[in-house]
Amino acid sequence: MPVLEVRNIRKTFGRTEVLKGIDFSLDKGEALSVIGSSGSGKTTLLRCLNFLERPDAGSITVNGEVLLDCADASTLRESEIRRKRLHFGLVFQSFNLFPQYTALENVLLAPRLLAKENHEQFADKERLNAEARELFADIGLSDRMNNYPHQLSGGQQQRVAIARALIMHPDILCFDEPTSALDPELTGEVLKVIRKLSEQNTTMIIVTHEMEFARDVADKVIFMDGGVICEQGNPREVFSHPKEERTKQFLSRYSQN
Amino acid sequence: METFLHQLPIVVNALNVGFVQTLKLFAVTLLGAFPLGLLIAFGSLSKIRAVSMFTSFIIWIIRGTPLMIQLLIVYYFPGLVLHNPIWGGGEQGRFLAASLAFIINYSCYFSEIYRGGILSVPVGQTEAGLVLGMTKRQIFFNVTLLQMIKRIVPPISNEIITLVKDTALARIIALQEIIWAGQAFMKGSHGISGAIWPLFFTAFYYLVFNGIVTVLLARLERKLDYFR
Ligand SMILES: Nc1ncnc2c1ncn2[C@@H]1O[C@H](COP(=O)(O)OP(=O)(O)OP(=O)(O)O)[C@@H](O)[C@H]1O
Ligand SMILES: [Mg+2]
Repeated sequence: MPVLEVRNIRKTFGRTEVLKGIDFSLDKGEALSVIGSSGSGKTTLLRCLNFLERPDAGSITVNGEVLLDCADASTLRESEIRRKRLHFGLVFQSFNLFPQYTALENVLLAPRLLAKENHEQFADKERLNAEARELFADIGLSDRMNNYPHQLSGGQQQRVAIARALIMHPDILCFDEPTSALDPELTGEVLKVIRKLSEQNTTMIIVTHEMEFARDVADKVIFMDGGVICEQGNPREVFSHPKEERTKQFLSRYSQN
Repeated sequence: METFLHQLPIVVNALNVGFVQTLKLFAVTLLGAFPLGLLIAFGSLSKIRAVSMFTSFIIWIIRGTPLMIQLLIVYYFPGLVLHNPIWGGGEQGRFLAASLAFIINYSCYFSEIYRGGILSVPVGQTEAGLVLGMTKRQIFFNVTLLQMIKRIVPPISNEIITLVKDTALARIIALQEIIWAGQAFMKGSHGISGAIWPLFFTAFYYLVFNGIVTVLLARLERKLDYFR
């Protein structure tokens, strides 16, 4: 059974139909990369998965549980969105760290609030602290835990944002162009962290313009164009022998640069 | 000179009493208008159109008319128009009426500053909180609020300093604040009459108090300098 099944997701803003029926599924431990030209709907798709946008049609199923089915009103209740959201994590292009908190506090804020709500006791606080420290070791920032975001480089901020998403243990971690806001010399350190996650079999969806990375890290690639999935499959296949004309055109533009 | 030295302690005592009333009005206004302003800001940001339009209408009226008129209306309207003098005739009634008028007036001004402050926090902050499974309430109190406070400290400081001076308007309904106390020495009070200098002397009180307020607010601003 796949971890994630997305069926016929459609989304319209005003009069523009941005997603015109997206279908795909993802197995546990798989990394999926999503490529496509600007405006093809990649961000909108991730936002739908994270319940930041409500699709107009379609369904999202995680581990067999239908989280959202636009045809079934009982899955659309606002009160349950929050719990459902926790199946997903999202790392933004612009990091969006909380500026008034240190890196460590950024990572601990959400799980602490959740633990407090569930009246979990002191032991959990210790466990959380230990886990956060471990995460900082993984992202190579143990020595910067107590820095504020503005004291960190973009690459460091993005790595903290990844740790912040990971501590919530999402079933599927989504990345929306995690390196697009970074200077070229800083993208490597972020990609390295994501690569390590994929080696640990983290289930991920990565929207990216880093074609080489998309090919090497992903188990599966989706090429989106104009709100539809134009082509999907094994990265080596899609990148070396694209079947669709539009995929060929898109990829050739990248190989030129 | 001799009369002045004789009058000084008497005048200072009377002005101190008036200034306590000024400070009380100042403090009550802030205590009331800080939270009420936030409520009004939420109203004007509400997605429910009826709510946001109603709030904008109230803000328009309050900001579009002089505080002095609002004071007169709050104080006299119940008694003279409704024939139900809820405030009574005493100093306490005048203080309650003045407090109400000041709180309403200042919360409308604060609400506009809050609204700008809330809107100036990038939506990415809220969205980051949402995808981490935080509730809107948790996001407001743990993420948005402090960033908003940082941005509104300078404009709110201006309003607070204006408020210190605006309290003098309460004199129009005969609240016995410091200007009232100073002016009393012209007509005659505590055995002194025809003296204008006590009225001028009140400026000194405002000046010193505003100096203290300015220093405190600057300190708060510096305290929030640790993040961007
Ligand atoms: N909130 C919105 N309101 C109106 N239109 C929107 C909104 N969000 C996205 N769009 C439109 O939807 C289309 C797809 O946007 P989206 O951000 O999903 O594309 P993308 O594939 O992520 O592009 P990019 O590579 O530039 O990030 C664009 O034409 C955009 O203008
Ligand atoms: Mg995008």
